[in-house]
Amino acid sequence: MDSSDINSDRPLGRDDLTGTEPPPARVPAQRGPAPAESGAAAGTPGGAAETPAPEQERFWKAGRLEPMPIRSLPKAPPSIHLLGPTVFLVALGVGMGESYMWPRLVLIFGPEIRWLFLIGVTLQAVVMLEMSRYAMATGESIFFGAARVFKPLMWFFFVTAILVYIWPGHLSAGASAFERVTGIPWQATAVAGMLLVGVVFTLAKVVYNLLENVLSICIGLLVVGTSVVAAMVGSLSDLSTTLTGMFAFGYLPEEALSPAWFPVIVGSIAFAGPSGMQQMWYTLHLRDKGAGMGAHIPRIRGLRHAEEQETMPTRGFMFDTSDPAEMSKWKGWRRWVTFDAFVLFWGITMLVTVSFTVLAQASARFDPQVATVIRDGERDAALDAMAASFTAAGSPVFGTIFFLFISLIGLNATLGLFDSFSRGQADMTYFFVPGARRFSMSKLYGFFLWGLIAFGICILLFGPADGPAAILDTLAFLSTFAMGAYCVTLLLVNNITLPKPIRPGIVPNVLIAVAALFYLGMLFYSLFAYGVVVS
Amino acid sequence: MSAHAPSAGHVPAPAQYAEIAVPGAAIGLVAGVFAAGVAALAGLPGMQIATIATGLGIPLALLGAGYCVLLATGRFGVGAVGPVALYWLVGFPLARLVDEVAVAGVLGHDDVLRDPLLSFLAFQALLSIGFAIGFLWLHERLAPLWYYRIQRHNAAAADLMRRYIDQAAEMEQRRASAGRGRRRGRS
Repeated sequence: MDSSDINSDRPLGRDDLTGTEPPPARVPAQRGPAPAESGAAAGTPGGAAETPAPEQERFWKAGRLEPMPIRSLPKAPPSIHLLGPTVFLVALGVGMGESYMWPRLVLIFGPEIRWLFLIGVTLQAVVMLEMSRYAMATGESIFFGAARVFKPLMWFFFVTAILVYIWPGHLSAGASAFERVTGIPWQATAVAGMLLVGVVFTLAKVVYNLLENVLSICIGLLVVGTSVVAAMVGSLSDLSTTLTGMFAFGYLPEEALSPAWFPVIVGSIAFAGPSGMQQMWYTLHLRDKGAGMGAHIPRIRGLRHAEEQETMPTRGFMFDTSDPAEMSKWKGWRRWVTFDAFVLFWGITMLVTVSFTVLAQASARFDPQVATVIRDGERDAALDAMAASFTAAGSPVFGTIFFLFISLIGLNATLGLFDSFSRGQADMTYFFVPGARRFSMSKLYGFFLWGLIAFGICILLFGPADGPAAILDTLAFLSTFAMGAYCVTLLLVNNITLPKPIRPGIVPNVLIAVAALFYLGMLFYSLFAYGVVVS
Repeated sequence: MSAHAPSAGHVPAPAQYAEIAVPGAAIGLVAGVFAAGVAALAGLPGMQIATIATGLGIPLALLGAGYCVLLATGRFGVGAVGPVALYWLVGFPLARLVDEVAVAGVLGHDDVLRDPLLSFLAFQALLSIGFAIGFLWLHERLAPLWYYRIQRHNAAAADLMRRYIDQAAEMEQRRASAGRGRRRGRS
């Protein structure tokens, strides 16, 4: 695959386009720019440095798909900020891994085991930064980037998303916790919750704005609550053992390498923070936030307002990387997203995990039976035991508070997942399924959202919530495999399709390669050495 | 008083600021409710749990209210993370200290703190960063709705609302300028 940098000093190659050359023939699944977009080309807004003639349109050619017109990069907001697309990753990422899986490992192996969590979350923060590189530079999703490199890659993710994420089993933890509080059967809560999510997203004028607001409040409550709880329960020595545990690199007790625990540990590392395809969906939230060149792409609207949807361009845009002013703005955007990755995402994920670990330790201190139940690995029984220990310590109100925490986490994950899945599938369908552009992106989004809800309700009422038992291992395999696959995709997309000045440096490339090796290596090692998929 | 301070209103200035302080105080109180869960971990009776909950909830509510007033008087920028983090870096450990002292007083404990004072304060200060982010996160989502409701009779709230709108307009302008670039490119 050869991409070319129109801004470099070298002579133009065969893929290089100038305004005087028409774009090459496109692949069948792609149509040309809409008339409104591709009419008489104007100059290069944003000060393309070498503007030869006002009518000349300049393009960036990436892969074999439609070239990206050069447009101005918007000015970046201040790097220190509060609200942004990270809220989706936090909502999706802070789930059972942080509230149950890691506290469980700490109880069994001690706080030193947390160095693996540090590695897992830090790798995810780096992946997040690299995901944002392509999305902010082009306004395209990483799925589109994958298609530019090798279209079957994109279809792999399309199919994987359907196989892994249509099963409503993820609703069970939060809804079950709610059942403990109210007595309402969890299936009824889950069905009502899904219908509510569908109606609310349908009525929303701009889905992103609504969801960012709701998730911000939920995450805010979670962060404030867990901070206070940790402050009350813990001590500096608790914090210091947790912190030193995070740096106990290489600590791996013999039992951790046993067939019973190795797959669990690998799974816990893989699912530290956002797992599966959640990082890929982050690129779509960045676009709707208007980050970088995403500002040139219209936002997705609720189905009720779908007619107000502006025309979606048939591809993204690129900025003039030879213009120092544009590069200065690009650096501003990189600072902005770095703050997102390392302060908001990394910091909040760490904080919530520490708090839940402290909670688990406290409940185990109060009732040693909790440690036994947690060790046995029955999630619902373990959550019951933790809540029961709080209840026994004070009043039933406190068991309720614990379950409400779990319900809140479940609600966040469900809201984020429904939106993200629909967003990702709509994006791939709109750009790559022939004939799909008869519908607007917002309508496709609504179609996938309601399809997911309808299927989820049917399965909850009549089928296995986690998916058919015969394919559970396959789904777990696919979920982890997708993480290794998106690291490889990232390396290819960022190093092949982006102009040289904004490609990743050696350090991010090495880290992403390490992540790919880690996810895929551990997955296959677990499979071949122990005969089990990560869990 | 900064340039942002209101000059007139239908209600006296102290009452205006008291009204403005409602969102911050409410968030502080809600945070204090979580302290009840922690009290349960200690296996204490209801009365003592209530003491612990209010011991933290009230200081946090007062500090939350203080943040709103400082915001309204222009000492803090709208949505600025740094000043809030510094504010709670001092305020959160103090609130926790008040809580511990109150609890020790009610229970008649001789030892107020489990850890040395400096260790205690350092631990609380470290956790305050998370609390500050959560607080601001909630405040930025909830407070503008409240200020919008009261701005008709509260000049300080109206002034604060204007600052929120200015900030939103600035963000929108940034997006619109990119949009104009897109339209220019099409025509």
